[in-house]
Amino acid sequence: MRQGRAWRRGIASCVGRGEAIAEAIASPLRRAHHPVADLRHHLGLLVRLVGAQVRSQLQYRVSFTMDFVSSFLMFGFEFGALAALFVRFETLGGWTLGEVAFMGGLTAVSFKTMDMLFSGFDPPAFGEHVRKGTFDAILLRPAPLTLQVLGSRFVLMRVGAIAEGVAVFALALWLVDVHWTAAKLAFLPLVVIGQLAFFAALFVIGSTVTFWTVDSIEAMNILTYGGHELNQYPAHIYPLGLRRFFTYVVPTLFLAYYPTLYLLDKPDPTGMPSWVRFVGPVIGLGAFAGAMAIWHIGIRHYRSTGT
Amino acid sequence: MTHHPSAAEAPRTGPVIERPPLAPLIDVRDLAKHFTMRRRPPVRAVDGVTFRVAPGELVGYLGPNGAGKSTTLKMLTGLLVPTSGHITVAGRIPWRERRAHVATIGAVFGQRTSLWWDLPVIESFDLLRYIYRIPAERYRANLDTFRDLLDLDAFLQTPVRSLSLGQRMRADFAAAMLHDPTVLFLDEPTIGLDVVAKERVRRFVRHLNAERGTTVLLTTHDLADVERLCHRVLIIDGGRLLYDGNLAELQRRFGGRRELVIDLAEDVTDIGGDGSANRLDDPRFAVPGADVIARDGPRITYAFDRDATTAADLIARVTQRLRVVDLALKEPDIETTVRRIYEERLLDGA
Repeated sequence: MRQGRAWRRGIASCVGRGEAIAEAIASPLRRAHHPVADLRHHLGLLVRLVGAQVRSQLQYRVSFTMDFVSSFLMFGFEFGALAALFVRFETLGGWTLGEVAFMGGLTAVSFKTMDMLFSGFDPPAFGEHVRKGTFDAILLRPAPLTLQVLGSRFVLMRVGAIAEGVAVFALALWLVDVHWTAAKLAFLPLVVIGQLAFFAALFVIGSTVTFWTVDSIEAMNILTYGGHELNQYPAHIYPLGLRRFFTYVVPTLFLAYYPTLYLLDKPDPTGMPSWVRFVGPVIGLGAFAGAMAIWHIGIRHYRSTGT
Repeated sequence: MTHHPSAAEAPRTGPVIERPPLAPLIDVRDLAKHFTMRRRPPVRAVDGVTFRVAPGELVGYLGPNGAGKSTTLKMLTGLLVPTSGHITVAGRIPWRERRAHVATIGAVFGQRTSLWWDLPVIESFDLLRYIYRIPAERYRANLDTFRDLLDLDAFLQTPVRSLSLGQRMRADFAAAMLHDPTVLFLDEPTIGLDVVAKERVRRFVRHLNAERGTTVLLTTHDLADVERLCHRVLIIDGGRLLYDGNLAELQRRFGGRRELVIDLAEDVTDIGGDGSANRLDDPRFAVPGADVIARDGPRITYAFDRDATTAADLIARVTQRLRVVDLALKEPDIETTVRRIYEERLLDGA
């Protein structure tokens, strides 16, 4: 360090406006850190970005409370409607109300948590950044781009929707007698993570596409929200074509339906091999890794063409 | 002082102690950016531009709309990757070392903010302090200076989205300078501002350049910015650099004639025998070396070439012949000069 300072002084004496230049050249030295320290700094930045937004959103306490309450009312209505259907039909494709609620709650918690954590990658919001040119501000700051996008938006109000999912899941646990084993307990969080990662991947891909065109946002939304909706009901009640699409093209069925078959010991009327019940988390994380690769291609494209 | 090209590519984490100070702070050579569009010929937004900027210079980058100003600036700030050519800023290649590069530059794009839209200004500053790892005492000192110079106190706690354009601009300027960048890139920094706000921004830029030695490259449509701030201008059109030199020289070569406006003691409006009023060739007002170009009651306007006559000579000659109560000397404004250059393509083939 002392050596560095002496060096800096040396340069400062060489040139007229030496100090500023020496500072500029020396600054990477000051900023060159150990990778672990760097990682801690980046995570600290994410916490700060999110924290600042949470604070500013909590200033609107009334609207926040209203949203939370209305989320719960929505939950009441939705669950009531579903329960009414079951009064009439008793089961849905052989599943009881509790079993449908189990998968629906699981899906809702995963998706809504993703929706909150990845608010910055919500394609319409991100597309707006690109369209208005504010994405450039992110490129102009010396911090990882992905992390800055993640921290660029945080919709705290999603907490209401997450709570709704938790409530549905809790109700399901009360209605269904799940035969818990250690393996099932270990698998449950993986199912949530897999589903979260998969839909996050769809968000990231949807955002990346806005580097080329903003017209495709709706098409992407159909996959994201359609896939999410479909994951709330037992898949074998859907027509074969739809099921095939969401198995082989956008494989959302592996994320909630097949894992639920395992968790609730349900038979598989679709006739898939039994190992497919466990691939959800792998598919989710794999999709996320693929999405990140596409995201980086998108950034390279943006930097070669601008907007 | 020798140039070590390898130093620029050295890994950031390695010991780069030996990097010498490079003579030009900004070095642009044969820079080109072509945009290809479907079923259309490629657009040569920047087409072979070469210039250098030394530390501490304050340079205006001018050109009509679509000339390639913003595209150049985007490449200098590392937002865009050039099609071909070469740029180094403080010895770094902007797009190849994005993070190290942007850590040492400041940028203000007049049309859009770099602050967090929903956060109070001071929170944005605090986040920037963290991102750039600005030492606490530097941050405090800079913030104090900028609060004073830019009069930020009234809106430090206000969310950026609620700021007026002038306030937002001032906040953006402070944000761009908190980390003591060596180079400041400004794209239309006074666009849409009122006269007072423009003057404040210009004063701030002058302060940075004079007190801190910050090198500034600015694009603008407002030639008053250039007149007040820049000694040197670059003029670009059609992606090509047409002029690189000082402003006075540009004015001397391409500026129109200077004007002397005098007010006489009495109204000299007259109607000639042929019915024409205020004839410009009235012999009573003829002065060698200048032409009467306008008459309005007691007011007469002369035009003269700076090379043929000095202002002092002309004033002496005029006051000898006429009873003058007031006079004013008007320089051709840079606005007119630059417009002439664009419209008449005076610099083509230069």
